Amino acid sequence: MSSFTAGDAVRVRPVDPVGHTRVPRYIRGHVGRIVDAQGQWPLADDRAAGITEPRVETVYTVAFPARELWGEGTHEVTVDLWESYLERAAEERA
Amino acid sequence: MSGEHASSTVAVRVRRLEERLVAAGVVGDDQLDAILTKLLNGASPVNGARVVARAWTDPGFKERLLADANTALPELGLSMAGGLQEQRLKVVENTETEHNVLVCTLCSCYPIGLLGPSPSWYKSEAYRSRVVRDPRSVLAEFGLELPDGVTVTVWDSSAESRYMVLPRRPDGTDARGEEALARLVTREGLIGTAAV
Amino acid sequence: MSRVNDVGGQTGFGALEIETGEPAFHADWEARVYALNMALVRGGVYTLDEFRDAVERMAPAEYLAASYYERWLHAIETLVAERKVLGDE
Repeated sequence: MSSFTAGDAVRVRPVDPVGHTRVPRYIRGHVGRIVDAQGQWPLADDRAAGITEPRVETVYTVAFPARELWGEGTHEVTVDLWESYLERAAEERA
Repeated sequence: MSGEHASSTVAVRVRRLEERLVAAGVVGDDQLDAILTKLLNGASPVNGARVVARAWTDPGFKERLLADANTALPELGLSMAGGLQEQRLKVVENTETEHNVLVCTLCSCYPIGLLGPSPSWYKSEAYRSRVVRDPRSVLAEFGLELPDGVTVTVWDSSAESRYMVLPRRPDGTDARGEEALARLVTREGLIGTAAV
Repeated sequence: MSRVNDVGGQTGFGALEIETGEPAFHADWEARVYALNMALVRGGVYTLDEFRDAVERMAPAEYLAASYYERWLHAIETLVAERKVLGDE
């Protein structure tokens, strides 16, 4: 079921949904590295929309270097993201 | 945030809403009281502190805790199933070279069972907006200055996991037992905005 | 579209206000709001995700002017009205 494994480079899909989502805007379109898969959880977007059988997907912990997000900084930010928020990225950016 | 008058207005609003929901049989007063009793008696940073003290004194427990916190917590009679649904807990370890700090930029996700009700600053826009952008400036406002060589990781809990920091054990505490060590651990230490 | 709650990386919110010895709730009504929300989610009136959505749907100016539990109260009132829990009004 899980498409990504630890170390994979992923890009957060540059989407901008109208309703509730758990993708913070500061990571949209940015490339990060899969740290961990957390198992399967119902998709928050679907549950917030009142869908009685929400999609169930793997949630990943994804690490983003500060430089990727803000153009500067040495820290890292990790965000927990459902699989449909992510797409595979070219390896060289990770 | 609100003045005294505004507060009493909102208190009236809440009382009316509660009365109508109780009258309609949607919620019960006993149920509401039980929810608050459970929160105020059960949810506390004392729980997180016990976990930390055990990890400091029992290397096997620490290894299990870092690998899979949900299966390690029952060793202390704790669990992540006390809320609306069982949550995954990830414990992140501070070391000489790595410092971890927690946030929820979208709302206020927080391991309430282990850390107690969250402080207002954790829920504030000031904290949520800035800690992902410039964590060192935020930590400095708490009086925590980290050496340049330390890598900071900010954990934005945006899904179903909750996080807790395993702080570094203070120097000079070798002689202390588990209970005495637990008393050293603060809520801010478990969030990562203070050292212990 | 990004909502007012989505503040990660925004500037201008100022210094932190760190209250020492802060109580769990600053007023009794805050505790009642907390309990009401838990009870309504447990009772299946709405889900936690629908609750978060209702907080996020607040008008930005109203959201920013409201305290934490005032936002919760607003969201509960919104959902209770939308679901006609208290009958048609």
